[in-house]
Amino acid sequence: MNRDRLLRLSDRWFRLLIRCYPPDFRDDMGQAVVEAYRDRARAAVSRGGLVLLAGVWIRALLDATRNGIGEWFSPAASWRRAGNWRRDAEFATRRLLRAPASAAAIVATLTVGLGMFAIVYTVFHKVLVEPMPHEDPEDLYFVWRDYGKIFDLKRGWLGGPDVAELRTAGGVIEGVAPLARQQATFAVGEGAEAAEIAVMVTSPNLFELLGVPPAMGRGFAPNEAGPGRPPLIVLTHGLWNRYGADPSIVGRDVRLNGEAYTVIGVMPKEFRFMRHSSLGSPRGADAYTTVTVNLVEEDPGGGSYAGLIRARPGRPPRTVAAAVDAVGRALDARHFNNQGLKLYPTGMKEDLIAGIRPAIVVIGFAGLFLLLILMVNLATVLLARAAQREHEFAVSRALGASGATVFRATLFEGALLGLLGGAAGALWAVWGTRTLVALAPVDLPRRDTIALDWPLGLTVVGTGMLLGLLAAVVPAVWATRSSLSSLLASSAVRGGGGHGRMRRGMVVVQVALSLVLLTAGGLVVRSFERLLRADPGFRPEGLVTIRVPLPPQGFPENKDVFAAQDRIHQALSAIPGVRAVSAVDALPLTAGARQADITIPGAPGLTGDAQKDAPLVDVIAAHAGYVETMGMRLVAGRTFHTRPPEGVYEGLIDRQLAARFFPSGNPLGAEIPLGQNRVTVVGVVEQARMYGVHEDGRPQLYIRADQWVRRRPAFVLRADRHAQAIMPDVRAALRRVDSRLALGEVVTMEEIARQALSQERVSAVMIAGFALGALVLAAMGVYGVIAGSVTRRRHELAVRLALGANHPRVLRLVLAEGARLVALGMLIGVPGVYFAGGLLQGVLVGIAPTDPVTLAGVAVGLGAVAMLACYAPARRVLRIEPAQALRES
Amino acid sequence: MGMDRPRRPLETTTPLRGVEFHILLSLAAGERHGYGIIQDIQARGETSVPDVGTMYRALARMVESGLIEAADRRPAPDAGDERRHYYRITRAGLAVAKAEARRLEALTRAARLSGLLPKGAK
Repeated sequence: MNRDRLLRLSDRWFRLLIRCYPPDFRDDMGQAVVEAYRDRARAAVSRGGLVLLAGVWIRALLDATRNGIGEWFSPAASWRRAGNWRRDAEFATRRLLRAPASAAAIVATLTVGLGMFAIVYTVFHKVLVEPMPHEDPEDLYFVWRDYGKIFDLKRGWLGGPDVAELRTAGGVIEGVAPLARQQATFAVGEGAEAAEIAVMVTSPNLFELLGVPPAMGRGFAPNEAGPGRPPLIVLTHGLWNRYGADPSIVGRDVRLNGEAYTVIGVMPKEFRFMRHSSLGSPRGADAYTTVTVNLVEEDPGGGSYAGLIRARPGRPPRTVAAAVDAVGRALDARHFNNQGLKLYPTGMKEDLIAGIRPAIVVIGFAGLFLLLILMVNLATVLLARAAQREHEFAVSRALGASGATVFRATLFEGALLGLLGGAAGALWAVWGTRTLVALAPVDLPRRDTIALDWPLGLTVVGTGMLLGLLAAVVPAVWATRSSLSSLLASSAVRGGGGHGRMRRGMVVVQVALSLVLLTAGGLVVRSFERLLRADPGFRPEGLVTIRVPLPPQGFPENKDVFAAQDRIHQALSAIPGVRAVSAVDALPLTAGARQADITIPGAPGLTGDAQKDAPLVDVIAAHAGYVETMGMRLVAGRTFHTRPPEGVYEGLIDRQLAARFFPSGNPLGAEIPLGQNRVTVVGVVEQARMYGVHEDGRPQLYIRADQWVRRRPAFVLRADRHAQAIMPDVRAALRRVDSRLALGEVVTMEEIARQALSQERVSAVMIAGFALGALVLAAMGVYGVIAGSVTRRRHELAVRLALGANHPRVLRLVLAEGARLVALGMLIGVPGVYFAGGLLQGVLVGIAPTDPVTLAGVAVGLGAVAMLACYAPARRVLRIEPAQALRES
Repeated sequence: MGMDRPRRPLETTTPLRGVEFHILLSLAAGERHGYGIIQDIQARGETSVPDVGTMYRALARMVESGLIEAADRRPAPDAGDERRHYYRITRAGLAVAKAEARRLEALTRAARLSGLLPKGAK
């Protein structure tokens, strides 16, 4: 073997060994190392030949292994691997600062988008994900009665005997607590001003069941319930705070409905508990006392308690349901002649959020879509920026910068922008969630916990960064591929080639996503608009309401209640500007009416089916003039006279009841047994809707409040003056009637109606916001692509102009390109629209998910905006002077 | 490249590793390429001559810390006129080398005083 061949072989060996070193060291030193080995090999060959050379090879192997690995772990130039990020950071920051306007625009877009995401995510997390603030909340269930064939109520409260039976059942059921929520007047001491509060009447074990002991004092002892129980009360932190947060409150007496109660405990600040109701929203309470009755002895037919049970730890819901069902069957046999009464449990959290879940899921999806659109948008922008630097990339690649460097620089830019946007978005969301909570329904589950906290904020920032990184992947890959040769090849159509196609693809995706989001937005907004225009059966404008409890302590006899009501009526009527005054025990849209199952013996509409013939109705006690004051519509007969007639109990029924019992005949004069008496129908009215503005609830029966005692009347006033102006006069007038009266809040009926729609309002506002955001982003995307296209095709368009095409024709050419993209995007978006429709099913009111007007409107709107976004940059075509353009290129 | 490279402060560079001092010693006498430095070390009678990899990692480190810098690539007469990377010492490198030499001198003097080295021997 000759010397030269040996040395060439050596070189190959050394080059192979060099691979042990990290690439950056290799780039810098590799050649020199090989050369040094070569010198050494040459010396070895010339001194001793093959044996020495072999020694050099082996030594080189050992050397490369040791130092190669060493260099990976402690690099000579450590800044290069760690510090490259720093240089990238400096580089990316400098590049962003060089074009502050465009950087600000990107960050602003991300801020708004990520801010919206942060808000949605916060609500989502707090309402749906975060566990309830109770011990092992997944073992807590509400238990409901399903009356089966007895009457049409699938979700009724439990009777006292039900609770007693569940208590003795044992097995998987570890504990039971009955919950009855009552309004009561509360005062810290005798003579102090009384206020109305909500009291949860329950069993002593409630706090143990929830696993939350009082923060101060103690809870109830097992023997502190039932007949003759001591009057003890546990306050919530909120109520305690409202009355001055007296640290020595435990052991002191307060007044509840005029009676002395001893405060034995105050619950912790974090304690939140709500009792669900069969209809209407979950509600909390301000204080807790125990039941005064013996539950077993209560009427088994009546339903008065929400039942809360705790199952033994970790038992599957199926087992719990079986246990509860067994109790139900025993009760059915004992008290209901096996007519089919059932008991069933529902997971506590599931039950509390059931009403709001569909809306939150829809909003969550909308947020996700917005995030996707945002990501595609950012990717488009980054791609455009990368394309501007195509030359720089290609040259640095040609000069030996590795693909990884270019890749990393682009990723870094994306991540940095995402990070900035995420941080700003999180800040924005701190304010945004506050606004949202202000807009949200008072009864939105766990409303008071909805706030952006640190973990959530960090998640949002992380999401922003991830979004930036993901968005940067496509442009980064593209940039890595750009080489000098491809740049030279495509320099005739500058900036053309691959990235243009990619950008157009992204715009198509953006249009598709936007179409879905806009459709959802359009549908939800139109549904909300229907709700706003819905006729609730009365005129809320100009109505002021105030609840005035008349407890037995101040008004022992029925005649005292009636007399007080008369005095209040007169006092309110005397306020200047008041045109009409009346009162009712359950205001519309508050789901506050009592229920009873009634029938009309001998009515022509009877079917013989017991369930149909004895419907559950809302029994509403109204004063004379209620129909007129509320602006309800009288369909037949008359309303109540001012004075109650002797010996006759008057009643009004709604159109539903009239239609059911008297499909063709005249219901006037019919008699309805109610309690010990018979109510004579004197008129038929349209419902003043009790539950939702858009549809009738249960059938309604109105009785006279001056014939049936109701101790918590809500007075309603219709006045010429503005509601806000009249409120102080109302309170003053009532104080003059009786200074001991515990007054509720003065609330306008419009406020009540607004509250009833607040969930829908929040959904509509948020989804509309998302949809608008999507529209703007899509328009920006289209604009960018067409602007880029016009720049790129300048030469080609100039040639066309030079060859005789006129400007409008060329303009059409460019617009057609945009139109193709938009049309394609809309086409791709259609399945998404169907998907969104399915999701929206449970949220929309009075409008189908496939509502043609909305779909067409959204398509036309999106198309118009997109074409406008095309037209703006396309107009530049008109300014092309063929001769000059051709000279330039 | 190399503009915003962090420089190691002088005080953290001493005491130098053996190979680094050798490199500075060689370069103090003039520009050298890698194998030239190894030959210098051999000529100084060092029993363990550093491996090529060890030396180039030292060179890379010292370039980073600004003790030496890359000179141009030019034909090397001792390598059959093939082109080689040459290195030269910087002013900082020279200062460090002098400081290290003084430190070693002081150590030698101390060794002599404590009888480790024969007195009077130069």
